[in-house]
Amino acid sequence: MKRFGFHESPVLAGRPAFWRARLVVIVLMLGFVALAVKALNLQILSNEFLQRQGERRYERTLVLQASRGKILDRSGSVVLASSVPARAIWAIPEDFHKATEAQVADLARLLGVKPAELRQRTQDEDKNFVYLQRQVSADKAKAIQQLKIPGIQQLAETRRFYPEGEVMAHVVGFTNIEDRGIEGIELAFNDRLSGQPGSRRVIRDRLGRVVEDVQAVVPPVDGQNLQLSIDAGIQFDTYTALKAAMKEHQARAAAAIVLDARSGEILAMVNLPSYDPNDTAERTGQALRNRVVTDTFEPGSIMKPFTAALALDEGIITTHTQFDTGNGRYSYQGAVISDVSRNGVLDVGGIIQRSSNIGMTMISEKLSSQSMWETFSALGFGRVPQTHFPGMASGRLRPWQRWRPIERATMAYGYGLSVSLLQVAHAYTVFARNGDMVSLSLLRREGQPTSVQVYSPQIALLMRGMLEAAAGPDGAKRAQVQGYRVAGKSGTARKIVNGQYSKTKYRGSFVGLAPVSDPRIVVAVSIDEPGAGGYYGGRVAAPVFSDIVSSTLRRLGVRPDAPVDSLVAVAEQGGRTQ
Amino acid sequence: MVRLTLFLAVLLMASAISLVTVRFQTRELFVASERLKSHAHELDAEWRRLQLERAELARNARIDSLARTDLHLVSVTPDRTIYLQQPEPAVTEARP
Repeated sequence: MKRFGFHESPVLAGRPAFWRARLVVIVLMLGFVALAVKALNLQILSNEFLQRQGERRYERTLVLQASRGKILDRSGSVVLASSVPARAIWAIPEDFHKATEAQVADLARLLGVKPAELRQRTQDEDKNFVYLQRQVSADKAKAIQQLKIPGIQQLAETRRFYPEGEVMAHVVGFTNIEDRGIEGIELAFNDRLSGQPGSRRVIRDRLGRVVEDVQAVVPPVDGQNLQLSIDAGIQFDTYTALKAAMKEHQARAAAAIVLDARSGEILAMVNLPSYDPNDTAERTGQALRNRVVTDTFEPGSIMKPFTAALALDEGIITTHTQFDTGNGRYSYQGAVISDVSRNGVLDVGGIIQRSSNIGMTMISEKLSSQSMWETFSALGFGRVPQTHFPGMASGRLRPWQRWRPIERATMAYGYGLSVSLLQVAHAYTVFARNGDMVSLSLLRREGQPTSVQVYSPQIALLMRGMLEAAAGPDGAKRAQVQGYRVAGKSGTARKIVNGQYSKTKYRGSFVGLAPVSDPRIVVAVSIDEPGAGGYYGGRVAAPVFSDIVSSTLRRLGVRPDAPVDSLVAVAEQGGRTQ
Repeated sequence: MVRLTLFLAVLLMASAISLVTVRFQTRELFVASERLKSHAHELDAEWRRLQLERAELARNARIDSLARTDLHLVSVTPDRTIYLQQPEPAVTEARP
């Protein structure tokens, strides 16, 4: 083999063109420039975009759910509404199709639906999110998780639970599936009950575990707890008494309310028919109506004491003024006003006790429409009650300028205006107090309530005496309570059907206060369309009043103010019996 | 000069290692705190559940029917009650 030195190599003999070397250099340089441009692009120009993209892949914002506040009764120890954690079960239809028949059957059994229904709802493979059931209890959700069905996922939720059920239904109300208040207290105080959800920005690792907080955590603010003025015990007693009466008289509906005459707090508010707020299917129709506050009716005789008190307060009549009510029929302004029975000559106490329409007409003749309107307005009729609660009805009280003369008479005995049961009970606090009307509250009250003077204290005392007689042996004696002196007025109002007063549909009501010596409570009861066992307020509503008063005063620990024949003997050192 | 360099190099190494350790500890403690937080959350939920269970058991309707049907209790009436005179005249009433 022939050997050459380097410079003698034949390859180098023909000198290559110089441009080729240049080309190589230029191509290399272009390569570097391209890299530099790319680097510039990544690091500086689209840096922000890329960083965001990166963050989207490992950073997450978690929503920290605030829990809705509890609703408690006045003692603070009885829970009326509380939220418990629950789960929403949802499916990815495409994956769910891989589930075996046995798995689907198990799931269907746990959710309480038919397997075919689950299959049918997840038919559409284009969807990638189908709720199977919401607000599933935590235990069930755990069982479902253990089935390990493909395509079945869970979401954390809360579920509102109402332990007292239908007893408290109308007061507390309920929330919808999104945890917003829909009825009752849940709606009225939705803002206070629902909290402020918090958030935190975190870094998650490959397995989805939270590794680090990126920003400061915004903690969730839980909703406030609400303490109502309602007493769970009194509410239950009222409910039981009302329910028994409704059954006995086969009534269409019934309502009752108990007020604390001293503080203006609502101790109980019951409506029948009721519903179970825990069962969404039951939350429909008539049962939802909170009749105490939303239904207005012509009050009838329970209005009489207000007119009589006005006449006495203005000094137009005295307790000795005599009225000749004749034989129970009286022509007035072209109409005939009749009484249930012939009452002869009565004084104002007798008119209230015998519930004489004619007597009230004669009193109203001495009154001016304006002063009657002013008093009724001051008593809260025709105005929405100043209590924070949804659906409060204002009732109807036409301006006095438009009253016809006959209407002044009918208003005097409670026809021609409409009121709600809450308004009536509220107005009766003037007789339970010293002629002043206390402001109402559904929340437990700290401190003194405000009140408005309507009648003078002497008139209130006088009326209390007359109302005691009206609930006495010669009046609505079924209202009497063992051991306590009660005062009250029954009312029987005909209902208007197709624009005429019905002769078969009535509303029996009773409003009263107890104990007379130092009134603590005002109770109003209304039985709508009683079908059996009488329809007079003194017959159907008064016994309910009596039941409610006796159990409420016992619960409040009020000492009897009427003599009682004691059945218990007591040893000398035990103290004196009453 | 060499000594100083060596010293600084050792210092640098030590600092780097401690940084790694601290970082590791942070993560570990963070995980622990997360676990405790979720535990606290679980306990809170459990407490709510128990409170409701108690409410369910102490429901007036339930107590009433138990007392009346199982235990045959009757409500007290004023004629079966002994009312004691309170020694202090100032006390007017007491809520049970």
